[in-house]
Amino acid sequence: MISQISAVTSINLRSIPQRWGMSLATILSIALVVGVLLGFLAMANGFRATVSGTGSESIAVLLRSGSQAELNSGFGRDTVRLIETAPGVARDEDGAAILSAELYVITDATKRSTGNDASLSLRGVDDMAPRLRENFELVEGRMFAEGSNEIVVGEGVLREFSGFELNSTIRMGPNEWRVVGVFSTGGSVFDSEIWADIGTVQNLYQRGASYQSIRVQLDGETGLTELQDYAENEPRLDLDITTEKEFFAQSAGGLSNLIMYLGWPLAIIMAVGALAGAWNAMYASVDSRVREIATLRTLGFSGFAAFVGTLVESLLLAFIGGLVGALITYFVFDGVSASTMGGSFTQVVFSFAVTIQSVISGVVLALIVGLFGGFFPALRASRVPLLEVHG
Amino acid sequence: MNDLTLIRKSLFRKKTRAILLILSIMTAFLIFGALASIDRVLNSSEELSRADRLVTVNKINFTQTMPYAYWGRVGAVEGVQAVTHASWFGGYYQDIRNFVQAFAVDVDTYLEVYPELVMPADQRAALSERRDCVAVGADLAEQYGWAVGDRFPLSSNIWRQADGSSAWDVEVCAIMTIPDQELPTNYLLMQYDYYNEALAFNRDQIGWMILLTGDPANNDAVSERIDTLFANSPAETETTTEAAFSQAFVEQLGNIGLILSLVVGAAFATILMIVGTTMVMAINERTKEVGVMKTLGFSSSRIFTHVLSESVLLSLVGGLLGLGAAVLLLGGIAEVAGGQLPGLGVGRETWIQALGLMLAFGLLTGFVPAVNAMRLKIVEALGKD
Amino acid sequence: MTDVLYELTDLSKKYTRGKESVAIFEDLTMTINRGDFIAIMGPSGSGKTTLLNLLGGIDKPSGGQVVCNGLRIDNLSQAKLAKWRSSHVGFIFQFYNLMPTLTAAQNVELPLLLTKLSSKERKRRVQTAMEVVKLAERAKHRPRQLSGGQQQRVAIARALVADPDVLLCDEPTGDLDRATADEILETLQLLNSELGKTIVMVTHDPAAAKYARRELHLDKGRFVETGAMA
Ligand SMILES: Nc1ncnc2c1ncn2[C@@H]1O[C@H](COP(=O)(O)OP(=O)(O)OP(=O)(O)O)[C@@H](O)[C@H]1O
Ligand SMILES: [Mg+2]
Repeated sequence: MISQISAVTSINLRSIPQRWGMSLATILSIALVVGVLLGFLAMANGFRATVSGTGSESIAVLLRSGSQAELNSGFGRDTVRLIETAPGVARDEDGAAILSAELYVITDATKRSTGNDASLSLRGVDDMAPRLRENFELVEGRMFAEGSNEIVVGEGVLREFSGFELNSTIRMGPNEWRVVGVFSTGGSVFDSEIWADIGTVQNLYQRGASYQSIRVQLDGETGLTELQDYAENEPRLDLDITTEKEFFAQSAGGLSNLIMYLGWPLAIIMAVGALAGAWNAMYASVDSRVREIATLRTLGFSGFAAFVGTLVESLLLAFIGGLVGALITYFVFDGVSASTMGGSFTQVVFSFAVTIQSVISGVVLALIVGLFGGFFPALRASRVPLLEVHG
Repeated sequence: MNDLTLIRKSLFRKKTRAILLILSIMTAFLIFGALASIDRVLNSSEELSRADRLVTVNKINFTQTMPYAYWGRVGAVEGVQAVTHASWFGGYYQDIRNFVQAFAVDVDTYLEVYPELVMPADQRAALSERRDCVAVGADLAEQYGWAVGDRFPLSSNIWRQADGSSAWDVEVCAIMTIPDQELPTNYLLMQYDYYNEALAFNRDQIGWMILLTGDPANNDAVSERIDTLFANSPAETETTTEAAFSQAFVEQLGNIGLILSLVVGAAFATILMIVGTTMVMAINERTKEVGVMKTLGFSSSRIFTHVLSESVLLSLVGGLLGLGAAVLLLGGIAEVAGGQLPGLGVGRETWIQALGLMLAFGLLTGFVPAVNAMRLKIVEALGKD
Repeated sequence: MTDVLYELTDLSKKYTRGKESVAIFEDLTMTINRGDFIAIMGPSGSGKTTLLNLLGGIDKPSGGQVVCNGLRIDNLSQAKLAKWRSSHVGFIFQFYNLMPTLTAAQNVELPLLLTKLSSKERKRRVQTAMEVVKLAERAKHRPRQLSGGQQQRVAIARALVADPDVLLCDEPTGDLDRATADEILETLQLLNSELGKTIVMVTHDPAAAKYARRELHLDKGRFVETGAMA
C-alpha cells in the first residue's frame, strides 16, 4: 500500500511543472491569504506587546475612581500626601515612599509618515518617574532640569514624529520646549511620550497643584491589597488602584481585539476564495491525468492510492504557499514601526511582530485550504473509470 | 439562440469549475463591499460636514478646554454668522462600559449651527424649558431603549459635581434625527448651564466651538481672524473646516485607508491569479472549438468579444453575488450591534465602484485568453487533437 | 453547362522547417465546375487537407491564385475571408467538430448567427436542414448523446444551413463503419444531385470515392484523373 501511494504521489508531483500556471496561482493565492492573516496578527501582537507587555506586577497605578483613563482623572496635592504615607508603598533606604505623581496633557505633533498632526502624551513628572518604569534608560542627552522648559522624549516619538531631534527647540501650543534627552523604556507605551518637569507643566497648562495619576512601587506581594484597603477606608481618598500590568491590559484590549476580529474573518473569507482556486487547480490536475490514473488502476493500483496521491499534491502546494506567505510577511512586516491611537486619544508607537504562533496559525490555515481544496478532486481521481484507459 | 447563449454555455461548460470561480470572485467582492462600508462609516462625519462650517479647538490639542468667554468673542468676529460651543462629557449609562457620546452644549445656537438635526416642534419647545432636558439621537435612543419622558442619571468619567457625585439627572425631552441621509445620530446633547453650574472643577470652560461662515470662500479669512484674536493668550486656538477636523481625527487611528486598500488589493490579486489562469486554461481546452467557429466564418474580433464577454459575465455574476453577501453580512452586523454602528451598509457609491471593478476585473482576466483565441490560426487549431 | 466555380492557377504551398523548405505542391492549376462532386484521393501527407484548406480560405498559398466565383480569395484579409466563408463554404470534418455544449439544433443554427436573418427564419432553416439530413427528431440532443453517423449528419446540416456554394469534406466517413458511411455518402450525393451543391471530398476509401462524379488522385503535387462517373 505504502509503495503504491508513494508511486502514485511521485507521478503526481512530477506532473506539477506541466501545469505550472495553475500550480503557481494556487501557491501565490494561498500565500496572499496567509500574508493578510499574518499581517493583521503581527499588528495585533505588536500593539499588544507594546501596551501590555511591559506592565509590571509590582507597580500600582492610582487614578481618581471611575475615570478609566489618565486623561479623565484628577486630584490634588493632598491625595498625593496621603499616599506618601500609606501602607503597602515601598520605601527607599531613607524611608521615602517610592512614588511618582504625574500630570498628563495631550499635545499635537507632526507625524513623519503623513505630515499631519496627531496627538501625543506630554507627561509632567519629577525625578522619581524613571524609578517607576522598568527598563528605563536615557539613551541620549540628559534629564530635564527642574523648573525649566526642557523635555526628554521617548524613542518612539523620535522615530514617528518630526522635530524632536536632540537639542532642537519645538513649539507645542503657545510654548517652546528644548529637547535635552532621549529615553527608552524597552518598547513600552512610555516610548511614545514626552516628559517634562511637572511644575512647568502645571504652570503652563494652568493646572495649579493638580495631578492625574500616581505610580507607586508596591511593598511585597501584599502591598497592593494593603494599599487598596487603606484607600477604601480613608474617606479623603477617592481612587481606583490597579497593578500596572492590569491597567495596561485593559487599555490594550480594545484595539488589538478589533484587529484580531477583523484579521481572522478577512483571512477566512479570503481562504474560501483561495480554496476555490486550489480545488480548481486540483481538478485540472486530475483531468489531465485521467488516462494515466486509469492505466495505473488497470495495472492493479488501488483507488485509495490515487486519492492520496492527489491529496498530497494539493497539500504540498498549500504548504509551499503558506510558507511563502509567512516568509514574505516576516521580511516585509516584522519590526516595521507604526503608530495608532491608543487609550486617551494619544498615539502609541509600536512595531509589527510576526510571532512563531501566528506563523503556525498561517501554515495551518494554508493546509486546511489544501486539504479541502484537494479532497473532492482526490475523490474523483479515486473513481476514474477503468475504461478511460482507452482515452 | 444568440451570442449570449454561446457565451453562457461555454462559461458553464464545466459546472464545478464555473461555480468555484464564481465563489472565489464572490469572496473578493464581499471583502470589498464590507471594507468599503467600514471605511465609509469611519469617514461618515465627513459626509455630515458642511463646507462653510468651521471648528475652533485649543491649539495645544482638541482635548484642552478654553474659557467660556471665547464663545461671545467669536460671535463678534466679522464673517461669523452663527457660533455655538460644546464640551465633552465622557458619559456613560449605569455601567461604565455603557458608553454614551454626550456633549454639553448651548442648545439654541447648537441647533442653529447644525440645522440638519431635527425634532418635533413640541419636543423642541420642551427642550429649552427645563435645564435638565436632553436631546437624544434616534440611534442612541434605540440602543438604550430610551423614549421621551424617561429620566435617568447620566454619569461622567471625567467630571465631578461639587458634592462629589459624578452623575447628572437628566430627562429625555427630544429625539433627534437627520432626515434624508444615512447619517448616524448616536449622541446626546445636554445643556451647558445645567452641567457647568454643578462642576467641582474646570468651571466656565468649553471644549470647542463650531461656527458658520455662510460661504466657504470666507473660511480662511474667518479662521485667521479667530486664531489671531486669541494668539499669545494661554489658550490659543486653531480653526479648521469641520471636514478637515474629523479627517484628522480618523487619521489618528493610523492609515486605515491604506490597510483596507492593501487587504482589498490582496483579495483581488488572489482571485485575479486564480481566475486569470483558469480562464487561460479553459480557453486552451476549447482551442479546437474556436478553430471550428472561425472556419464557420466567425471573425477573430467576434471571438475576441465572446471570450471577453465570458469573463466579464463571470465577474459580474460573482461580483453581484459577493456584494449581495456583503449587504446581508453588514445587515446582520448592524442588527447585532444594535444602534452602535449606524450607517453600516453598502452605499450607492460602493455599488458604482464595485460595478466598475467587476467590469475591469472581467476585462483583465479575459484579455489574455481572448487575445490567444483571436490570434489562433485555424489550420493549427484544427490540426490539434 | 460548364460553369466554373474554382480556378486555381500556379498554386504552390511550401513549408519551411528550419533551413529546408518542403513544397507540398507547385504550379498546380485546375478548375472545379459548379455542381461537380469531386473525390480527392492520395497517400497520406500528399497535401489533400492542405488543398481543402486553400479552397476554403482557412490557409493561404505560398504562391499562385485561388479564384472562387470570380473572386480572388488568396489575398483577402482574415476578416474578409471569415465573412466570405460564412456564406460561401460549408466544412465537414472527419471528427465532426460539433460544439459539445450546444444541442444538435443549436449547432446547426451556429452559422446563421453570422447572418441578419430573424430568429424565426433561422428556426425554419434549421428545421429544413435537419430534415434534409433526416435528424429532425434529434434536434434537442447534445453531440455526446448522438452516434458518430448522427453527429456527422448534424455536421452536414450545419455546413448546409447557410446555403453555401461548395461543401468541403475532409474524410467525412473516415471514422464511420461501412453502412453508416454509405448513408452519409448517399446524403452527400443527394445534396449534389438534387440541390446542385458542389462538393469536394477528400477520402482514403475507394468505395467512398465511387459516389463522386470525378475522382482525382493527388500524388507528389500533381493530379491524375483516375475515373469519372456518368
Ligand atoms: N504546419 C505545418 N508545418 C510543416 N509541415 C506541414 C504543416 N502542416 C502540414 N504539413 C505537411 O504537409 C504535408 C501535407 O499535409 P496534409 O495534412 O495536407 O496531408 P494529407 O494529404 O491530408 O494527409 P492525410 O491523408 O494523412 O490526412 C504533410 O507532409 C505534412 O507533414
Ligand atoms: Mg488530411
